[in-house]
Amino acid sequence: MSTKHTEAANRFIANKEQETWHNETLWFVREKRDKMAMDVPEWEELRELSSKIKMHTITHLDKYAEEFTRNAEANGVIVHWAKDATEHNEIVYSILSRHEAQKLVKSKSMLTEECHMNPYLIEKGIDVVESDLGERILQLMDEPPSHIVMPAIHLKRQEVGKLFEEKLHTEKDNSDPTYLTRAARQHLRNEFLTADVGMTGCNFAVADTGDVVVCTNEGNADMGTSLPKIHIVSMGLEKLIPNHKSLAVYSRLLARSATGQPVTSYMSHFRKPREGGEMHIIIVDNGRSDILGNDEHIQTLKCIRCGACMNTCPVYRRSGGYSYTYFIPGPIGINLGMLKNPEEYYDNVSACSLCYSCNNVCPAKIDLADQIYRWRQNLNSLGKADTMKKIMSGGMKFLFTHPALYKAGLKMAPIINHMPRFLIYNGLNDWGKGRELPKFAPESFTSMWKKGKVQKKNE
Amino acid sequence: MSINSKNDILSNVKRHIKVQYDMPDLDIAAIQYPDKLEKFTQMCKAVGGDAMVVKEGEDINALMRSLYPDAKVIASNLPEIDIATVNPDKVEDAHSLNGTDLAIIQGEVGVAENACVWIPQNVKEKVVYFISEYLVILLDKNKIVHNMHEAYDQIKFNDYGFGVFISGPSKTADIEQSLVVGAHGAKGVIVLLR
Amino acid sequence: MCLPKEDRHIGLPLRFKTDQPKTNIEMKVGLFIPCYVNAIFPEVGVAAYKLLDHLGVEVDYPIDQTCCGQPMANAGFENEAIPLAQQFEKLFDKYEYIVAPSASCAVFVKENYPRLLEKEGHLCQTSGKIYDFCEFLHDVLKVNKLPGKFPHKVSVHNSCHGVRELHLSSASELNIPRYSKIRDLLDKVEGVEVLEPQKVDECCGFGGMFSIEEPSVSVCMGQDKVKNHMATGAEYITGADSSCLMHMQGVVNREKLPVKFIHVVQILAAGL
Repeated sequence: MSTKHTEAANRFIANKEQETWHNETLWFVREKRDKMAMDVPEWEELRELSSKIKMHTITHLDKYAEEFTRNAEANGVIVHWAKDATEHNEIVYSILSRHEAQKLVKSKSMLTEECHMNPYLIEKGIDVVESDLGERILQLMDEPPSHIVMPAIHLKRQEVGKLFEEKLHTEKDNSDPTYLTRAARQHLRNEFLTADVGMTGCNFAVADTGDVVVCTNEGNADMGTSLPKIHIVSMGLEKLIPNHKSLAVYSRLLARSATGQPVTSYMSHFRKPREGGEMHIIIVDNGRSDILGNDEHIQTLKCIRCGACMNTCPVYRRSGGYSYTYFIPGPIGINLGMLKNPEEYYDNVSACSLCYSCNNVCPAKIDLADQIYRWRQNLNSLGKADTMKKIMSGGMKFLFTHPALYKAGLKMAPIINHMPRFLIYNGLNDWGKGRELPKFAPESFTSMWKKGKVQKKNE
Repeated sequence: MSINSKNDILSNVKRHIKVQYDMPDLDIAAIQYPDKLEKFTQMCKAVGGDAMVVKEGEDINALMRSLYPDAKVIASNLPEIDIATVNPDKVEDAHSLNGTDLAIIQGEVGVAENACVWIPQNVKEKVVYFISEYLVILLDKNKIVHNMHEAYDQIKFNDYGFGVFISGPSKTADIEQSLVVGAHGAKGVIVLLR
Repeated sequence: MCLPKEDRHIGLPLRFKTDQPKTNIEMKVGLFIPCYVNAIFPEVGVAAYKLLDHLGVEVDYPIDQTCCGQPMANAGFENEAIPLAQQFEKLFDKYEYIVAPSASCAVFVKENYPRLLEKEGHLCQTSGKIYDFCEFLHDVLKVNKLPGKFPHKVSVHNSCHGVRELHLSSASELNIPRYSKIRDLLDKVEGVEVLEPQKVDECCGFGGMFSIEEPSVSVCMGQDKVKNHMATGAEYITGADSSCLMHMQGVVNREKLPVKFIHVVQILAAGL
């Protein structure tokens, strides 16, 4: 009984020191998030509003998408539409080639990860430079992010030090984070200054103004869009919100939930292209409009990609981002992966103890754990249910629907207590990995009741 | 390609929407602080920056000099800043602002809950907000609001079509969650209130 | 689990809402002893009975009861739980309240039975009247005195389903007033010193079949949880869910750690 997630988690946990560090570090972020949440008396009301704004927006998405487009175009922005990843990448490339661009400097975008844009453009000869420090580290290592907000959270400073020594020629054995960050600042400053086009993701797209809002701490989205004259925005269809009044709600929730900061250092509102420049927005569907028709999972479209569900998830913290087979890990990733392709990503559904903490931290109140429960119910019809679990569940049903058999079972159970240890704690016993089995009581409650041992004596 | 995709996407959206949900009432009783100015100052420090109130009659230029004695390239388009060596309205190209030691800019609204200052683009080359090693934001202390709801009710855009909330210096914690100030943008931000 | 949460008391006869529990209230309670409590921790069931009886509640135990069906449902086979739900309805329909010394099982009935039975065209009767034992004492009987003494330090295990589904205590993630029904009740037992671990309501890693499908993560969670409980200096780890206690006990027994387990019902019934 194991999934790809189980196996990858085994490997992650085998390095106990690393696992403990990862677990505690992300828990610390969860605690910072808690402190921020407790400092805002109307926190729960904000979460409720955020959920409702998103439910309203996604169920009027055609209206808001058209309103947004109309306003953005009136502001002089060029709006493109991409049905899928291929179209998205082709549009980006067509803009780059029209401007004979060679270097694209980009800020963090999970959507471009989703579209596998970087390999596509690099193949075409474009120099694609990630400018978020964590993303740049991973790009230099040729690895994907392991967390959607803290992409390099699985790495230790020594690994970064070694990488920079090789790629950026920093001092030998110097892995001081300040030193390494300064080195990256220098290196990426040159990239910003020589980029032809800047690209950003989009945290929020405001329908009634046409604004694209991008939040960063490093200021990399702003550097990348204030030097080159061309700005390309890659935007998921579900990023739309109606107006600035709604934006106010999200501006209070996003960073507090994500990193436990009151707000990110920069929250930039792009309304028009720069003087003499161009601004392009690519609105990407890539399966999102299909989710609208899925009652059980529509709420995933409320996600604002804060990563809070990962930081609180006891499984994610102890198994790391790479233990999941979808590029977004943790509770939201389990669900998004299943929506993308259940045949391919069902392995992640085991990575949940149904503790429901993710539901409670989610700033959009997505029913994340309930959805994982529902996916489990569907695995059988997909032919992906674990055979052992199926047999056990069937056996339990048989036992529990036959009270006489159940009572006989209760009577027999204590025999197991006296079975030889090697018979019980063998390789097939997954419970026995790290835990002793419980001892059956000599007499069950049912048996005691039947014999009148429980009831009051005077009755 | 684009027009067809737009129609396809929108018709797929329409086809899939079942129940439509109402927009909630967004007027909420959001947090208010007994002393907005004090909270704003405290939050500026909490996010790694600083805030100070300029004393009556105090010379801003002299104050700047004393705060940043080593700054050589000073960028500002504000008429009262006579120590400026570069005017970001006058530069030919944004790239030439690389190497700016200190930028002095005007903010419009301060937000007590998170130290945000609203900067509607008010220079030709906005890169000056981000590329400078240090940043000083001038702000009218009567323009501090309690929270982001109030801020969004007040902010305005101009013809440049760009605006940013800045809260403290540029920072990152991407290496082992260890906080480092000065990732790509300003290594220090001071809000001067008057 | 996606159904709207309603006020638990809606639809229940008002005459049972009393502040004076000791005056022989006319209420008949069906005691639900979940399968693993039945086989492994029958003393929890005995304690539950004794205390309810002491509080003047008439308790009945339908002898043909088995399991609520949660183990199969959480593993992804909730349809296997439908016949169990039907069986449960038949056995417990006649009681005014159903009380189970297990938060997780109680909430499974409460949250899932309506949906499961709806598939069979049946309107669920039991979901509105099932209570976890602590919840029943706290919210329905509103006990203000308990008979026994328990002069020990205990660390309370706030189980996931108890906290986040049944709301036995305020979830640590939410900005709501802090409360704990379990602590409120324990405070009425003489001599007990109530402690809580760091990461006050983090999962112990049981999760039903999760514990055997993801053994590495599950064991790691169990070890961490036990460590946090032990760091309080408590002699006992206690809680409203035997399943979590059983999981942590598995870890403690394997590692031979010096901490004991006791179900909260047994402390509340101390001396009976």
